[in-house]
Amino acid sequence: MNSTLLTSPILVIAYKELRDSLRNRWILFMGSIFMLLSLSVTFAGRAVTGELALPPLANLMSSLSTTSVFIIPLAAILLSYDSFVGEQEAGTLLLLLSYPISRTQILIGKLLGHSLVMFITTSCAFGSTAVLLLTFGSQYSVVEVVSVFGQFIISSNLLALTFILLGYIVSLRATEKAKAVAGLLFVWFILVLIYDLLLLTVLVSDVAFMDKQLLNILIALNPTDLYRAINLVSVGTESTGAAFSMFGDIDWGMSVMYSLMLVWICALVVISQSIFSRKPL
Amino acid sequence: MNSNTSPTYNIPVVNVEHVGLRFGDVEVLHDINLDVYQGQTLALLGHNGAGKSSLIKLILGLIKPTTGQLTVQGGRASYQPVNLGYLPEDVSFYDKLTGWEVLSYFAALKGVKAPRVKQLIAEFELEYAQHRPLKTYSKGMKQRLGVAQAILSQPDILLLDEPTVGLDPQASQFLYQKIASLKQQGCAVIVCTHELSIVEKHLDSALLLAGGRRVASGTLDDLRHASGLKTQIKLPNFTDKVQGDGYLQSLRHGQALLVASDERKAVIEYLVQQKSCTDFSVIDPSLEAIYHHFMQQQPLNPLPSDIAVATIPRKGWLQSLFSPIARQSQL
Repeated sequence: MNSTLLTSPILVIAYKELRDSLRNRWILFMGSIFMLLSLSVTFAGRAVTGELALPPLANLMSSLSTTSVFIIPLAAILLSYDSFVGEQEAGTLLLLLSYPISRTQILIGKLLGHSLVMFITTSCAFGSTAVLLLTFGSQYSVVEVVSVFGQFIISSNLLALTFILLGYIVSLRATEKAKAVAGLLFVWFILVLIYDLLLLTVLVSDVAFMDKQLLNILIALNPTDLYRAINLVSVGTESTGAAFSMFGDIDWGMSVMYSLMLVWICALVVISQSIFSRKPL
Repeated sequence: MNSNTSPTYNIPVVNVEHVGLRFGDVEVLHDINLDVYQGQTLALLGHNGAGKSSLIKLILGLIKPTTGQLTVQGGRASYQPVNLGYLPEDVSFYDKLTGWEVLSYFAALKGVKAPRVKQLIAEFELEYAQHRPLKTYSKGMKQRLGVAQAILSQPDILLLDEPTVGLDPQASQFLYQKIASLKQQGCAVIVCTHELSIVEKHLDSALLLAGGRRVASGTLDDLRHASGLKTQIKLPNFTDKVQGDGYLQSLRHGQALLVASDERKAVIEYLVQQKSCTDFSVIDPSLEAIYHHFMQQQPLNPLPSDIAVATIPRKGWLQSLFSPIARQSQL
């Protein structure tokens, strides 16, 4: 194993997580799902409108981010749900903690490994879609496609990171793997499905207290909404359809939204670390 | 134990003084004193929930004592302790990785180089299976890998929690042979086990715990003496030999002599002096007998993990995921 050449425990743990995902074909499986999703949306997405043509880039990113927002968190959850509870059940968490490694190093090592796994899968899947789009769609400029897909891959990875960390938090608190899965599916259900539905309901009902500022805050309070906002604002919300009109009201620029995403990640790292440091053995 | 029981060295590598451990209102360990020396094997014995694993976790520095002082090689135990090897109870490692990969992973975490991994794979007779995933390994093979993992860094202190559970006698013997060779190199070994007949042949001293309290401790001879259990001496043609010997008659119990531990040496010397008694067998009380003697009055205790859970109010599965940290987590 090459990890014997690695000197930092963080890198050793990250390498082990990466190899685990390769060994159990997780990367292959999730990469295929992402690729199937992006290719379907890109090349067959307009079939529902009765035409077989490549969509404008703004519409494509709108469709891609709308579908990815369901799949990416799910993939991140599947990757991270047993990170701690699984090791605890196997007895290896206790063993790892007896080694000259801090809990922070274990946490960061796992996070680095899982982030790499997500980066490889999303980059390969969405990157190859971008390449195919440039090959078959002469109407797109290379710079535009690279810029839009680059942004999409980066934001997808930030979203994945938040759900990986949510996975760690639940995994650290759960006593069994099955409970961790159930808890995370509940989190996914609330953040991905229910939260948006409630937000749209409030917007449509035109309640008095809902102003632009409050809407911005409510979008910032959910990483999946931030992800959608980043991808829709980046291509122009006016071309993305009425269903997403709430993102048209967002005041923030891309840098603020990316910063908010990073705040989410940092906060979740701190919470995970805090739970891990107090975890009874 | 606070008595020098070391066969070859006189340096305590683990020193436990009046250590107590509480999880909330539950007292897991109470006033434990213990010295472990270089080259010594100490057996931690007791029912499930007696506090053995908690004591190991204290030595590992994974939890802190509520009271008392615990030093490992002269320093406070912490999560980055001295050169220490540990094999937890019933560890299953990573099923999808190969034996080589698992050992290399733990070696890398300890900064141990590949040649040592290769050496241990060979030493523990796992060469033929080193590139097979662990899910194809038998219990004995996994346990051998576990011990190899524990001694990767040639530790000064080796802590083994139930190392022979589920192993066949040959595999157990193999493991204890390895432990014996480590002892000779000066490694202090602490074994937590229920397999008394096996560990009896290998221990230098033992600590018997019940309900987190010391019941007895010391060398096997100390424990025999403290228990008051007598040594049985059997002679061929017993009746003829004992007949007419007032001293032996006074020790007679059925068809054997029963001798208190403090008289044992004198009686054996007496028998050796009697030319007619050159052939006799001495059966000392076994560790199992000593254990049962001390433990028969002790209540069966709940597992520490059950105690820990008991301090958390019982909730539904979903609530329990988000329930506040239990008090023991503050340790």
